[in-house]
This record gives sequence, C-alpha cells and structure tokens, in this order.
Amino acid sequence: MQDKKILEVNHLNKKFGDNEILKDINGTVKSGEVICVIGPSGAGKSTFLRCLNLLEKPTSGEVKFEGTDLTHVDEKQLINLRERMGMVFQSFNLFPNMTVIENLKLAPIRVKHMKDDEAQKIAMHLLDRVGLAEKADAYPSSLSGGQQQRVAIARALAMNPEVMLFDEPTSALDPEMVGEVLEVMNELAKEGMTMVVVTHEMGFAKEVADEVWFMADGYILERNKPEELFDNPQNERAKDFIGKIIQNV
Amino acid sequence: MKKSLKAIIQTLIMIAAVFTLTTVFSNPASAADTSLQRVKQRGELIMVTSPDYPPYEFQVNKNGKDKIVGMDIDVAKKVAKDLHVKLVIKSMNFDSLLVAIQTGKADMAIGGINPTAARRQSVDFSKIYYSGGQSFLINSSDVNKYKSAKNLRGATIGAQTGTLQYGLAKKKIPNSTVKGMDKSTDLVLALKTHKIDALGIEKPSAEAYVKNDPSLKMISSGYHLNKNEIGAAIAFKKGSGSLVAAVNKSIDQIKKQNLTEQYLADAGKYMKVNTVNTSMFHYWKYFAKGVEYTILISVVSTFFGVLIGVILALMRFSKQKWLRGLAISYTEFIRGTPLMVQVLFVYFGIGVVVNIPALISGMIAVSLNSGAYVAEIIRGGINSVAKGQTEAAASLGLSKGDLMRFVILPQAFKNIWPALGNEFISLIKESSIVSIIGVTDLIYQLNIVRADTYRGVMPIFVAMLLYFIMTFALTRVLNHFEGKMKHAG
Repeated sequence: MQDKKILEVNHLNKKFGDNEILKDINGTVKSGEVICVIGPSGAGKSTFLRCLNLLEKPTSGEVKFEGTDLTHVDEKQLINLRERMGMVFQSFNLFPNMTVIENLKLAPIRVKHMKDDEAQKIAMHLLDRVGLAEKADAYPSSLSGGQQQRVAIARALAMNPEVMLFDEPTSALDPEMVGEVLEVMNELAKEGMTMVVVTHEMGFAKEVADEVWFMADGYILERNKPEELFDNPQNERAKDFIGKIIQNV
Repeated sequence: MKKSLKAIIQTLIMIAAVFTLTTVFSNPASAADTSLQRVKQRGELIMVTSPDYPPYEFQVNKNGKDKIVGMDIDVAKKVAKDLHVKLVIKSMNFDSLLVAIQTGKADMAIGGINPTAARRQSVDFSKIYYSGGQSFLINSSDVNKYKSAKNLRGATIGAQTGTLQYGLAKKKIPNSTVKGMDKSTDLVLALKTHKIDALGIEKPSAEAYVKNDPSLKMISSGYHLNKNEIGAAIAFKKGSGSLVAAVNKSIDQIKKQNLTEQYLADAGKYMKVNTVNTSMFHYWKYFAKGVEYTILISVVSTFFGVLIGVILALMRFSKQKWLRGLAISYTEFIRGTPLMVQVLFVYFGIGVVVNIPALISGMIAVSLNSGAYVAEIIRGGINSVAKGQTEAAASLGLSKGDLMRFVILPQAFKNIWPALGNEFISLIKESSIVSIIGVTDLIYQLNIVRADTYRGVMPIFVAMLLYFIMTFALTRVLNHFEGKMKHAG
C-alpha cells in the first residue's frame, strides 16, 4: 500500500509564450509521502505544483493521478479527478461571501451530493481539528491570516482528498502566525496524508518531509532525504541556496 | 486594434441585416385596395391624433375619466358612425402622425392636417372638412408693435415642427427666424416668456387660446393661400381609395349640414370647463397616472433589462465565438444609438411586421436598451472577482455552473450593485422618452396638463418634483441594501 503511486510526472514541460518555466520534470509521489519543493524564487515551484492538478495546462508531458493522465481527459473527468486533490493557496482564497462553515460545506454538498447534516458534521469535526470550531459562523474577513489558512486547509480536507497540494501556504502570513499553520500541516503529515508542499520553511521541510526536491531554473536539480540535502547538498546551485538560507537563519 | 475593427464590421453586418429585414417586410406588394374592407371586418376604425391642439383635439378629464375631445374627434366619430364601426383613438406627437398611418399603426390620421402638395406625395387625403385659416398669436403687450403680420418682418416666429405653419412662416415672413417645437403648449409658453415674438397657428386654435388667456392676442396671417393650405383633411395610407371614398361621403354631409360649427361650439364648452380650476391639485389624477406608468415602465424594463443583461454577459463569457461576437455587436450597437431612435424603431419599424401597442413597444425598447448597459456592468463585476476564487473552486471540483452560482455571482453582485443602482435611476428618467409614441407616462401627462390648463411652467415643476421623489426614494432603498451587503462580509 505504501508503494502505491499517487502522482507520476513524466517529461513535463511548461512554456508561457517563449518563456520556458518547466523543463523536462520527472517525479513520483507515493501514497503517504510528504514531498517538500524548495528553491529560489522564479524556479518554477508554484507552476510545477499547479500543473499537478492542471490549474496550469502543461505544454507537453504527462501528469498521472492514480494512473490517469490528466493532460488527456475532458473537462468533466478533470473536475471529477480534481475533487480528490486538495489544494491550499498562498492567498487562502476563501469565499468571502460565505461563512467559514459554508466554505467547508459547499463542495461536499454540491460535488459529493452529501446531505447537509452529514456535511455539517464533517465540517465541524475538521474545524475542531484546526482549532477553529468557534469561528464556524464567522465570515473570513473577520479572521486573521493564520486562521484563514487553517480554514482553507480544513476546506480542502472536507473533500477527503487523496493528496494535498500546498502552494507556499505560509508566505503571505505575519511571522507570528506561521507556526499555527505549520502545526496543522505537521499533524496532517503524521496522520499519513500524502502531501506536496512548496515552501520556504526549511525547518518544516527538514522535520516533516520524506523527500525534498530542489528546483532552480525550471529543473529539479536534486532530490534527497531532507537531512542529506540540507547537510550535504551535492548540486552546486543547491549548495549555494542552502548556504544562503542558513546564513540568514 | 484588429479586435475593434472586427467588432465594427460585425456591428455593421447586424445593422444591415436588421435594415434588410424591415425593408423587406415594410414593402408588401401593394395588392388590391382592401382598406375599407379591413376596417369593416375589424369593426374598428383606428385614428391617430396629437391631442394638444385645442379646439381641434385636446384631452380633458370629465367625471374623473380622461377623454380626447375636439372638433376633429367629432368628425371622426361621425365617420365611424357612418361606417357602422367603433372608433379607436390613439395619440402621439404630430410629427409621428403620418408615419403612424404609413406603417399601419392606424387607419387614418386627423389633427388639423393641411393637405399640402408635399404631404400628398406620401399619403392620401380626404376632402377638406374644415377651412380654418392661418393666424398668429402674439402677446397683448405687443399689440402696438405687431399690428398686422407685415410688422413681423425680422421677428422670431414659433411653429409646431412638421406643420404647415412652420413652412409658411419660413417662406412668407421676410428675414424672420423660425423656431420649431413639438408641442403647441411649449410654443405658447415660449411666446409668453418672449422667447418668440409670434406663434404661427391655425385660427380656431388661436381663438381658443385668446379666449382663455387675456395676455394673448390674435392677428391675421395675411397669407394668400390656396384652399389646401388653409383647410384640414384626413390623411390615409397611400392606396386607401375605398376608405377615402367612404369617408368623403361623411365629409360631404358634414359640410352640407355645417356640422363643424356645432363641433367647435362643443369643443369650446370643454375648454371653458378646463380653465375654471387650474390648480395643480385639481390635476393630481393626471400626475398619478403618469407616475403609475413611469413606474410600470421602469419596473418592467428593469426586470427585463437585467434578464437581457445577464444573458448577454453570459454570452460574453461563452466559449462559442459567434455568441461572444453577437453579444459584443448588440452592446456596441445599442450603446451607439439614441434611446429615442430605438423607441421609434421598435414602435414603427418592428411594428410593420408585428403590431405592438405603444406601451409594450416602449417597454421593449427601454428593456433592450437597458440590457446592453446592464450587461457591461455585470461583465465588469464578474471580471472584478479575484482569479484565486475561480482556482479555489476548481481545486474543490466545483462545476462551472456552481462556480458562477455560489462563488462568482454573489461576489460580483456586491460589486455591481452600486452601478446597477445608477442604471435603475437613470432608467426612471430615461423612460420619459416613450411619451413620443403616446405612452401616458409622466412626461406625456405633464404635456396634457399643460395643454389643459394653459399654464406652462407649473406642471413642469410638479413633474420635476415627482421624478425627484421617485429617484430619491429608489436611492434610499438601494443604499439600504448596499449597506446590508457590506455587513455580510
């Protein structure tokens, strides 16, 4: 079971006009694995992550989710497959016109055709898990950034996804709120959730990741166990990047 | 640049298509003359008139009911009676009377129309049923200045647009400046406020004004005219020979028995009644009816305007190129033409194919117009919702429909509400344009009160106040909802 491939990427390329963002990316994410993607800004990390659920359409190559190539399915199938991949954005993207609980219940009811009371139960359970049960009826605008991001995680979890994609989930947060979000993610990883996390939080990557992928200039230049990659990077660019980060810390 | 050129071409193609369609339909092969037969089969004789021209035709309120009366109406009644059919009266601007019969909106037009040679080229006329003669109205204070029409050389002369008086003043009074307006009531007001020095008007009308307003005097026109230029006749669509012949029989009787004398005397009685009480309160029912229609038109047009706007906006976001193109062309075309022209086009143009009553035509035109503006407002509102919202919804597996319904539209609605509110408010005001096709909205009623009371300014002031009350009340309501929406996150 542990070896089941959730995501498989083969020869993925992405161009915006003449600008090549991703160059021949290959990789596999197995069930229960936590992959952290690190690298300098402009490396193509976010674009890579967004190609995994086809928010960005790859220029060429394959993105297989549980064996199905997402680049060759129609719109309807894609929507069906996407509901099983949760995504958390840098800017939270909660629906401001709905309360917290409505944010959580919308997709289970509309997409999974769940009964309202069942969706309510699941939503309350998840809010409790991220420590925000008492904010169920609040509107997102009245929450802090950290709280909003925890709601966003709970919203994605409400669809009971196979894999969670995190796109720099703490980058838009004030420093004092980073901890509460990472803690939720940490819990999630411990429970065995398959996760792909684009992040600048090296401490988190070191502690939680099964594997860290270092990206620069549209390539994955090195992938390794976190302790290996952080303590003894092989690639020159990775060495340089990690050296700078450790200096700053 | 390329894109806008394409939009222009698309728009032009659409205009051409509409134009071809209407010209094809508006030129049915002039078949045999069935004009009389049609009227008889229908059992109704539809006449069109411009009831602001006492004593020929004007509107009165008798026992709480609006009624169009006057010499012309009595003539028409006599004609209908002789044909054994019911008389149906439609009213609109004098300008539009001949258009109305040409486009089949009515069987005949009657309104002190002089059967000039120019008019004879486009419509048929009955025999002349009354010869009034031309005259001028002047201010009493100017009696010494303008003793006769000869003294009007170089003066500013007013006349109703599209009337014989207008053309005559231009041609026969040397060095004069001729000012045209739609309504004789406006012209009388212009005269009394010295915007014009004299008003070219038919004698019976002038006499009616002088009788009711001591500040006005009448002088003879001194024109040497043939009988076609002083007489009034009934106008018909070209090729209505059988109907004209039948009507002429009635006119022969009218002339033989000198019935117009009696008709004029009756009209005079109505006018006397009218001037007893010219307080605006006396006319509250007129204004109430005007407000009622203005609100009716506004509410209906707002509803359909929003409906059309939503459909157009959805078309703009469609994947089908031709749907997008169609929506763009429509919006560009509607926004690029005046509402007034659209109202006339729907009533007279589309009316050639399907006969639509004036009120419905007005509503259709205003709705179509508003739809284009609403579409743009909605499009802007949808575009203003952050892209991240769409991505978040997509990542949750929401369908496009659900994305729109639950995420985009509720947020867009909040953004577009203030702009939409402005559109509703301008709709109340702009709906006033439908009065030109005889819809009894506030402006139309205002003109009737003015014709009725011989008071120019007061009714305008009342109408202004009423419009303001309506728009102000709406603003309050809209603000209330805007505040509520702000509260909800």
